[in-house]
Amino acid sequence: MIEFHTLRERLRGELYTGEAELLTYAYDAALDRSRPDAVVVARSAEDVRRTVAWCAERKVPFVARGAGTNLSGGCVPLRGGVVVSLAKLDKIVSIDTEKREAVVEPGVVNLHLQNALAPLGFFYAPDPASFKVCTLGGNIGENAGGPRCLKYGTTTHHILGLDVVLPDGSLERFSLEDRGPQLASLITGAEGTLGIVTRARVKILPLPESITTILASFDSIDAAMGCVSDMIAAGVVPRVLEAMDRMTIDSIEAYLPCGLPSAEAVLLIEVEGSKRQIERELEKVSKLCEARGSGDLRLATDPAKREKLWEGRRSAYAALARLAPNVLVEDGVVPRDKLPEAARRIKEIAKRHSIEPALLFHAGDGNLHPNVIFDERDAEWTRRVKAGGFEILKMCVELGGSISGEHGIGIDKRRAMAWLFSEETLALFRRIKRAFDPRDLANPDKLFPLEGEPPPEGLIRPAPPAPSDAQNAFVERVREKAARGEALTVIGSGTKCPKNLRGRGEVLSTKVLDRIVALDRGNFIVTVESGVAVRALKAELEAEGFFVPIPLTLGTVGGLLATCPWLPLREAVLAMKLLLPTGEVVEVGSKVVKSVAGYDVAKLLLGSWGTLAIILEVTLKLLAARPDIPNEFPIPPKPTPGPVFARLQNAFDPHRLLNGWILEDSDA
Amino acid sequence: MLDRLLTDLGERSGYDAASQCSRCGYCEQACPTYVATGRETHSPRGRNQLVRLLIEGKIEDPGSAFEALSSCLLCGACTTVCPAHVPTADLVLEGRRFLRLDSPHWIPRLASKLLVENPPLFRSFVRWGNRMIRWGVAGLVAKTGILNFLGLGALEQAAAQLDTAPDSLLRDRLAASPPPRGDAWGYFTACGTDLLFPEVGEASLRVLHFTRGAGKILENPCCGLLSFNYGSLDDARALARRNIERFEAETLPEDSPVVVDCSSCAAFLKSYPQLFLGEPEWRIRAERYASRVLDFAQTLDPEALPGGAGAGNGVVVIHDACRARHGQGVVSEPRAAVRALAGDRCRELEKAGDCCGGAGAFAFAHPELSDELLRSKIASIADAQARTVLASSTSCLLQLVRGLKVYYPDCRVVHLSQWVDESLPKRT
Repeated sequence: MIEFHTLRERLRGELYTGEAELLTYAYDAALDRSRPDAVVVARSAEDVRRTVAWCAERKVPFVARGAGTNLSGGCVPLRGGVVVSLAKLDKIVSIDTEKREAVVEPGVVNLHLQNALAPLGFFYAPDPASFKVCTLGGNIGENAGGPRCLKYGTTTHHILGLDVVLPDGSLERFSLEDRGPQLASLITGAEGTLGIVTRARVKILPLPESITTILASFDSIDAAMGCVSDMIAAGVVPRVLEAMDRMTIDSIEAYLPCGLPSAEAVLLIEVEGSKRQIERELEKVSKLCEARGSGDLRLATDPAKREKLWEGRRSAYAALARLAPNVLVEDGVVPRDKLPEAARRIKEIAKRHSIEPALLFHAGDGNLHPNVIFDERDAEWTRRVKAGGFEILKMCVELGGSISGEHGIGIDKRRAMAWLFSEETLALFRRIKRAFDPRDLANPDKLFPLEGEPPPEGLIRPAPPAPSDAQNAFVERVREKAARGEALTVIGSGTKCPKNLRGRGEVLSTKVLDRIVALDRGNFIVTVESGVAVRALKAELEAEGFFVPIPLTLGTVGGLLATCPWLPLREAVLAMKLLLPTGEVVEVGSKVVKSVAGYDVAKLLLGSWGTLAIILEVTLKLLAARPDIPNEFPIPPKPTPGPVFARLQNAFDPHRLLNGWILEDSDA
Repeated sequence: MLDRLLTDLGERSGYDAASQCSRCGYCEQACPTYVATGRETHSPRGRNQLVRLLIEGKIEDPGSAFEALSSCLLCGACTTVCPAHVPTADLVLEGRRFLRLDSPHWIPRLASKLLVENPPLFRSFVRWGNRMIRWGVAGLVAKTGILNFLGLGALEQAAAQLDTAPDSLLRDRLAASPPPRGDAWGYFTACGTDLLFPEVGEASLRVLHFTRGAGKILENPCCGLLSFNYGSLDDARALARRNIERFEAETLPEDSPVVVDCSSCAAFLKSYPQLFLGEPEWRIRAERYASRVLDFAQTLDPEALPGGAGAGNGVVVIHDACRARHGQGVVSEPRAAVRALAGDRCRELEKAGDCCGGAGAFAFAHPELSDELLRSKIASIADAQARTVLASSTSCLLQLVRGLKVYYPDCRVVHLSQWVDESLPKRT
């Protein structure tokens, strides 16, 4: 028994220990349940800080909770302890339309922010299905997405800064503008395992002048998905690109007849912009739809009529939720051009497990949601649905995708992380967790396979392209140094280094890593070695009609990423292959345009100046049209040593071997 | 317990109905008590889970669910937004019956008992009560603090503020000067209208006469809602049977509706079939009866109302009774009527469907929470700069009279029928 009165008397908010309270904070919107020992309804950031500090002192686990709409068990207190409800930290602190940002508390409901912004002519882009009830704090924890993130990206693309109570009870403020690694990017999507967000500075965007919605039907999933690929290739970036299969269409029509066409697949497409832009895009879209055999195209610009076209899509979940008590909303990602294959394999898997998934896709980014009805009171049915869902995730990994596009890992998918990431990568994630939370108190037992938990069967990740001889030699050289415990200085082509650089230890240049590893034309993704010159990369890609949304600067790609002079470049970074100062090679992120699995180490490293790890390769998102990007920048400031930075070093470079000159040279 | 419920998905056991909640949480922001407290126990999802766990026998200390279940407004807003329309209010009542929480307070419990066993005695209590309020005795009593001592803080406030108790009851007034008799409709006399707001009933009858010709006043007993919510199911069933029998004896023409001007009663009369799921013969009779019931707002045909400026000055807004909006789906009808009568003066109240905190006996049992909801309701009325609020249920009228008097006296609240009556051309 834990005595909570010493905590209660420190709080402005309430603390509950009654059985009813503990039972109702034992669940979220997924299936797992586990009772906390107490519930704190925080009334201030200071309440959160005091609670965490109290827990740290007594080694009591704690879990942050917003609205509890999580679909993967993320806010279930597996080891008991304290649930910290942020529901009443619900103030919109400020909205600055000039700077295009808003400051919010974590309990603000997504819709409430939208409602406050709309009269000012602005909106907040992430729009998860639960936007009417879910909180921004929860969105940050899960790196939530939604239909609009095809164009605008998941939550992490909209976070400018975070106030975070770290697991030792200290309150830190992380901003993207900070010198050094992007800690705000690490916290976003960490599912509350590294601390609790008490305030967020988020990006807001002006409402588009006009929006047109298009509903198109197709004879096959293949035709619909082919049309999606055609659109992306033609440079159309719709605001939304949703797909539904026949099973979904039929279940909607059975519940709420809203005139959806009877078809194998339906696309719901939205384009936005000025009237002129929309006309241009509409012309392209309708031609591409017709070319794939879509005869029936319905358009609407008037809000009421647009809503009519959306009605079916919006009712998809409700239609299923009426057929049985539970609906598993699975969430996986495959490379966009593999969606037809994924749909076929889902059918096979479903057959094997006697389940009936209805398919919903955020087709534009390859994010698929098979929805499967069941009754959790029927253990056998539940087992089949879970097994089928798990196999679908496995299939996503096999096709080169990810196990979560927007719902997070939580409890449900932690074992599947071993499919997606190597033992070395998982070990890095665990070291990061330990560096921030040595006592393992912040939302424990989530996100990663438990120690000793058997990995799911079969290593199924597609093998990455074999590294070049130069890369092998480079890695070998670093390993030798590591084995001897010798310091090392790694640079790109040296454009941002002092002229007479005297590094600590041997100076290694990544310029030897100069290969474009893979250009995935269908999915608009490129993987390059870090020593490739930015100019060369851009020129080579542009010759093929691809545009990489990074600035045209001197020096190498690795140097550009490590110094990050232009913040929006983070939006192009999907995955990295890293060489740690210990000699280990790890791969972080996913080579698909949307994934929220694991700590976002790729974005963390932006601005790290090579002080944590050496970037060997990076996977970048490509565009079909030339973006408008400035090309002149001052050299950004170097990282500042400090207690939080030291924690990161403990995880990446415990022996302080890498690029020590940067920190010594730092003008802080 | 009822054990079986009539849900949007058909007849279900209470257990199946509770298990239909998939815990998606989409109800949370629709629930006034969750929004006010931020507590999962005070959310529809939490309450559904607790009822389910009670049925499953998985709560060691069932009493710990008391507060969660007793604090439910039974407003039904959650059911409206729920993908599967899980009937949380009915489930909460099942949970209360399971815990034998007959009533959160002895006053409604006593009232419900008397309404079944001795209506005349109850009516004379109310007559005396009204007199005391008019004479200011209740105010004096309140000053002694004795009501507070009895745990009746809300009643004390009400007594101090309700100085407009009627001088006679509706039935007495109608007995003294009976309206013309016909059979175009039957008027169901709601207890609240009869005992506390007789002028509402008089207005309803005048409007009905104008819109539909002469009708009949049904000599009905209480609808049974008070017993259903705070007393015993057997009492509620007994009252339902009496009402059905009384109606059948009246032999109204097939197309004559039973009109009720308290939305809470109207919604309950429409739900009678659920009381008789185990009695096929009574179920059919209840279905026949329920199909004839109309909320007063449903009797208004906007096409047949004379256009004009409507009664009074300034902005007119509608506050939806929970049992109108969520209990019956009556939303567009009052708006169409008021717009026909007053045009642009009729504005939409922000969060018009949020509960005012009246909710039957809720104001007695949870005075602080009730007051919080009342304040936010009055704030939205003030934001609309309304001069007239229209309501349709007795407990809303009581609550809003009190709230407006304290927080926003520039505005008055009347029943929809009163305002329509005032807006219609003068008749004899």
